[in-house]
Amino acid sequence: MEFLDLLALGFGAALTPENLAFCLLGALLGTLIGVLPGIGPTTTIAVLLPVTFFLPPLAGIIMLAGIYYGAQYGGSTTAILVNLPGEASTVVTAIDGYKMAQKGRAGAALAVAALGSFFAGTVATFGLAIAGPTLSGFALSFGPAEYVSLMIFGLLAATILARGPVLKAIGMILIGLLLGTVGTDLSTGASRMTFGAIELFDGIDFIVIAIGLFGFSEIIENLEKTGASGVKVAKITRLWPTREDFKRAWPAVLRGTGVGTFLGILPGGGATLASFSAYSLEKRVSKRPAEFGEGAVEGVAGPEAANNAGAQSSFIPLLTLGIPSNNMMAMMLSAFVIHGLTPGPQILQSQPQIFWGLVASMWIGNAMLLVINLPLIGLWVRLLTIPYRLLYPAILLFCCVGVYSLNNRIFDVALAAGFGLVGYLFRKAKCEPGPLLLGFVLGPLLETNLRRTLLISQGDASVFVERPISLTLLVATALLLLMMIVPNFRKNREEAFKGEEA
Amino acid sequence: MKKILATSALALLAATGSAQAEWPTDRPIELIVAFAPGGGTDIMLRTLAPYLKEILGAEIPVLNRPGASGEIAYTALAQSNPDGYTLSSLNTPGFLTMRIGRELGFDPAAICPIARIVEDPGALIVQANSPYQTMEELVAYAKENPGAVSMGTTGVGTDEHLAMLQLEESAGIDLTAIPFAGANEAKTALLGGHVTAIGLNVGEYSTADQNALKAIGQFAEERSVLAPDLPTAKEQGFDVIQSSERGLATRCDVPEEIRAKLSDAVDQALADPAFLEQAGQMALPLSYLSGAEWVEQMPGRLERYTEIFSLIEAGR
Repeated sequence: MEFLDLLALGFGAALTPENLAFCLLGALLGTLIGVLPGIGPTTTIAVLLPVTFFLPPLAGIIMLAGIYYGAQYGGSTTAILVNLPGEASTVVTAIDGYKMAQKGRAGAALAVAALGSFFAGTVATFGLAIAGPTLSGFALSFGPAEYVSLMIFGLLAATILARGPVLKAIGMILIGLLLGTVGTDLSTGASRMTFGAIELFDGIDFIVIAIGLFGFSEIIENLEKTGASGVKVAKITRLWPTREDFKRAWPAVLRGTGVGTFLGILPGGGATLASFSAYSLEKRVSKRPAEFGEGAVEGVAGPEAANNAGAQSSFIPLLTLGIPSNNMMAMMLSAFVIHGLTPGPQILQSQPQIFWGLVASMWIGNAMLLVINLPLIGLWVRLLTIPYRLLYPAILLFCCVGVYSLNNRIFDVALAAGFGLVGYLFRKAKCEPGPLLLGFVLGPLLETNLRRTLLISQGDASVFVERPISLTLLVATALLLLMMIVPNFRKNREEAFKGEEA
Repeated sequence: MKKILATSALALLAATGSAQAEWPTDRPIELIVAFAPGGGTDIMLRTLAPYLKEILGAEIPVLNRPGASGEIAYTALAQSNPDGYTLSSLNTPGFLTMRIGRELGFDPAAICPIARIVEDPGALIVQANSPYQTMEELVAYAKENPGAVSMGTTGVGTDEHLAMLQLEESAGIDLTAIPFAGANEAKTALLGGHVTAIGLNVGEYSTADQNALKAIGQFAEERSVLAPDLPTAKEQGFDVIQSSERGLATRCDVPEEIRAKLSDAVDQALADPAFLEQAGQMALPLSYLSGAEWVEQMPGRLERYTEIFSLIEAGR
């Protein structure tokens, strides 16, 4: 049993007091920065990177990894409590998590999020341990053409994110696509819709839009409804999820784990795409789609499991092929390089204790995060009893600090404030920001990959149907479209949403 | 009259000198990095900062002002006080190419380099099992099949793109540029076999998995210390010279002696064995040049870049 030997080696390496301490430190730091909106793991790790010079390689890497997946736990907390996604990957958690909190079920939402994350984290780590190399090979077969098909599928599925008329959802997706085109055109270097502002040359940051549309507009609406006296939060009945919650949440966690593990492997995919997809999937398979957006526990469980699974599995391409799938992993790559280690096939052979030690530390770290987060729930929930007139200035302050710290410039704060106003108008028009954000994320990926595909094929569009993965995705898209057009299904969808229109 | 002017200028100089006597100890020196945390430039400067801090005896907080390939950081530097308390990273070719055909929000002539720290030549990379194991083989194929060879770059006017244009011109071939959002994306596409070749810096290549990727030429005058066995493009008969330089800069109207002190401090830090060890682990191709020496090279490079850019304009 070579696998067990290697695992034992890994736990041996990870269970030294020193490595345990750095794992805990990383997990704690991650939780903290996850809670603060805007201050993401990428910045934190960049700042801490030089510090890891003075640590043994494994300890440094364990700590940095802990910050990354710890942030996935922490990010959900503010999303659920105050409708403020701390990380991009927790935007969809806010949709139902916040509604649950308003109904006095914040404790249940937080517990489901933490338990779901823990389960997904452990399973994805297991996947990393046994199937890492195979999965990476598959990820590499995703070229520009496959991405185009995946994005088209994703955009269509995005209409499911919203309640209300499909037309509004499509409108929001289109606005998202439009916002995604702002900035320098990668293929020609021309600047688009920047109005000469150099701050817009690199496009608009996701966090700026998310904080504006969710955080700021929520505050405006709350103050309009109730003045400074506060948001009426239903009395908290119980802290722990009910048996019914567990029954509904666990299949969602399973599906979310699968989606997250898969999308996490894809370059450029990662935790954000995973959580969006998991939410769409849950709403699609649910027998009670009408409850989504009104505090459905599956809407918290699925995405939370997915973003944590995605966070773990994005290590797979890095550790097995040496290619980072997102900015965070690029940072992890630097951490390896600083210690003279080159992630890739050789490291599995030459330094197995590094790979297996990291894998083991992820298990330990996820368990630590559960222990950190569950007792904190009582404390977090009490946060909601703070009078709103004291709470909202604090939220505003954290939002502004977070947005400012993205690029250290006030322009972004002003931009977020603008999106706050726009978001308020959207709320008045009963348009949901979820599809907009997904359009914003997927649009640029769709555009650049479409152009890449056609450049590589020298203008021949038949590649999309000639490549098997791409073809499969396109067929799935066509089926989904058909389901939406066929009258019978449409009637069902409209009926399902009728209750909420009132 | 002339004399009076000269004397008063001297007096002014002396006055400024004494006003700056406390430099750099009375407050922190802000180091602006023109790229996001975690990039090559950021890591290099965050590694260097503690050594500069020790040598100068001043706090040196690092502040990332990413965006517009550095223009945001350079604009911030140009708007700072000329007192030596604001430094910025400086990268070529970006600093030079951004002024070609575009109005800038700052005057590039007002920004003076303090020192060049790293010079990292570009390299042409293919898959390890690629049918093209030399530049000649790749060029021969491209000649027969115009446009069929796709090359991953990180966008228009970036190092790899400029190198590619030079190769096209020098070899008389037609390549297809495929822009990616970063070197890692390009690397992934190459490993998946979606593009024929990509450009990477030698530093990046030396830390990559060399069983999967293979460099077939470097774009330097002389072989880089990081890749002594890799022939240059020139040795293979193609006139392609392209490297990324990274260093530090400040405003030109910062007093000469402060700029000299900063340059010396960088030089000193680069000689520190502890720093050298860290730089070695990160595969930083250290290549110190004083600000004056660096600035001397710039007009020549700018001219070359302008020429290459006119190739883009010509509709390539």
